[in-house]
Amino acid sequence: MTDLVTQRKWDKAAPNFDLMAGKGAEWRWEPHKQKLFANMRGKVLFLALGTGLDIPTFPPNQDITAIDLSPEMIKHAQDRIDDYHGSLTAEVMDVHELSFDDDQFDQVFTSCTFCSVPNPIDGLISLRRVLKPGGELYMFEHTGSRYFPFNVMMKLMTRVTEKLGPSMDRTTVENVEEAGFDIVKVEHIFLDVVKTIKARAPM
Amino acid sequence: MDNRLYFVLGDLLTNICIGALIGTLAVVLVGTGWNMWLAMVLMMMLGMVLSLFLSFGFAICFGAMEVMVPGMLTGMMSGMILGMWGAMAELSAIQGGAIGAVTGFAVLIVVWFANAALRGVAIERENRS
Repeated sequence: MTDLVTQRKWDKAAPNFDLMAGKGAEWRWEPHKQKLFANMRGKVLFLALGTGLDIPTFPPNQDITAIDLSPEMIKHAQDRIDDYHGSLTAEVMDVHELSFDDDQFDQVFTSCTFCSVPNPIDGLISLRRVLKPGGELYMFEHTGSRYFPFNVMMKLMTRVTEKLGPSMDRTTVENVEEAGFDIVKVEHIFLDVVKTIKARAPM
Repeated sequence: MDNRLYFVLGDLLTNICIGALIGTLAVVLVGTGWNMWLAMVLMMMLGMVLSLFLSFGFAICFGAMEVMVPGMLTGMMSGMILGMWGAMAELSAIQGGAIGAVTGFAVLIVVWFANAALRGVAIERENRS
């Protein structure tokens, strides 16, 4: 059953989402996201489209299926979806309950998603199911830090931020491994907090 | 850290402003005669919480984690230093703000060094495909 509490939280955030996330953060992260998304090929699943802020950084002429838990977010993303030069369809779907068949996608991409998925390991297992054996998972995520004093601050920040949306102290790299993926590459963008992760579904 | 001028200036502005605001607040709130350790801990906690909310404002223009993490560290350090200092000696609000601003600048330099040490490829394993 769809997580209605989380869905309502993001529906409520949708009208002001671009103001909070669409200026500084997107300008700052744009070159790193472009580099990550340049790896898109084959049949791609993009997780948590939001208001489509990432769409302008997608390479053209890709076959992308995007999902988001929030219908309001997808409504706000519609203009960006229409402007994309390639095949991009968006559906309302919960990552914990993907309605796609097994082994359907060549790649899955996420962008600042797993800070907000309520059960991250279950969500990642769900992604592994829809990826073909040997399929690739590419993530642009922020996580907690291993180093003092950043680790303490991220835990404290989480107490406030998770009421509004994301958690700041997730252990996403470990979660990816726990969900059964093989980690191929982890690259830190800012401290050990903002990072890109490449992983592969087992053959 | 990002070396594009807009973000370098944004990071400086964020940390100097947060440091100055928390520093001013700490010397206004703490009077001489307070227990130094209590003042330090209380102002450190207050600085950390307030700086999180202040960081949200700067984050709109200059980024998310790259603003909030150093901003919160600045709030914590500025509150701690000025809380302790304010308990030991009479400081004006302007002096508190100036010391807080210098603290913010110093914190940012530390974060720049930490980032230089941590950024880059952390794990790279053989491609098994």
